[in-house]
Amino acid sequence: CAQPAAAPAGPDAAQRTFWSGRLALQVEGQPSRSFIAAFELQGHAHTGSLQLSTPLGSTLAQLHWNPQGARLHTNNTIEEAASVDALLERGTGAPIPITALFDWLAGLPTPMDGWSTDLSAIAQGRLSATRFSPEPQTTLRITFER
Amino acid sequence: DGLQSLDLFLQKTRTGQADFTQVVTAPGKDGQAPRSKTSSGTFEFQRPGRFRFVYLKPFAQTIVADGQRLWLYDADLNQVTQRAQAQALGSTPAALLAAAPDLQALRAEFTLQASVAPQDGEGLDWVLARPKSKDGQLQTVRIGFAGTQLAALEILDSFGQRSMIRFSQVQTNPTLPAATFEFKPPAGADVLRQ
Repeated sequence: CAQPAAAPAGPDAAQRTFWSGRLALQVEGQPSRSFIAAFELQGHAHTGSLQLSTPLGSTLAQLHWNPQGARLHTNNTIEEAASVDALLERGTGAPIPITALFDWLAGLPTPMDGWSTDLSAIAQGRLSATRFSPEPQTTLRITFER
Repeated sequence: DGLQSLDLFLQKTRTGQADFTQVVTAPGKDGQAPRSKTSSGTFEFQRPGRFRFVYLKPFAQTIVADGQRLWLYDADLNQVTQRAQAQALGSTPAALLAAAPDLQALRAEFTLQASVAPQDGEGLDWVLARPKSKDGQLQTVRIGFAGTQLAALEILDSFGQRSMIRFSQVQTNPTLPAATFEFKPPAGADVLRQ
């Protein structure tokens, strides 16, 4: 029987609105840099929130967005912007494509310009994506609780 | 009281080993019930400046301070990050226990006072430590002692997220092999600076 290109992670994958796990970002450069954090992602591409925290349990940043705009709260600053992706990269240095991430986590390989995705291990709660452009090349790896 | 326990702890304890259970509770947002996550593992430290947190459940993650650098290894992500320890520790709870040589050194980073027990922290002597650096991630850290033995840590971060770490099977001044605080990246793991 025909195997769908990428089977969604579970029957309710499309309706699921909460993911938690860890993400690692690798930014190529002289030297290359990396960033590991625990995350909680809630809601949808148009309205939701993302919390990043250190492995020892203290919060690094909280990002909230809705159709009117996005707000990033880090330890002592609150920034606002129209685009949630741009705000997250500017505020934390972590270019995580929130808008596409919800689909990727649900196993849907929605294209995102400049990015390629590998959802082959989505059923095991793993995904990776690489941004080729703009520079610098960045690899995002996520492991989440299914 | 808590301050005497902390003072004696800092004077008498050079190394330590314990199991830990950590419950992190995020403040309930707009009406939702607060969510909490439990993890557990082992903790070792050697003063000043070295410690090792090994998270076993629900996922494998190792954090090692070797005196110069702070290493973080996540097994699922197969990635290691490392950064200078001085810049990383500053006002983190681990600094309280493992890095500070004595009470005076601790007072440079934190204001310290004896404290009442926090929620579900009865039966221990507590110290409240408030980081002096205002840009840190922490609001308060409370350390709980059973006599002069470390028993618990309660961390409230600047977002109101609360982390309660309870130590068990605590051994004071065990002899720990030097390799305990050396971090050797596993084969095939990407090792990068933060």
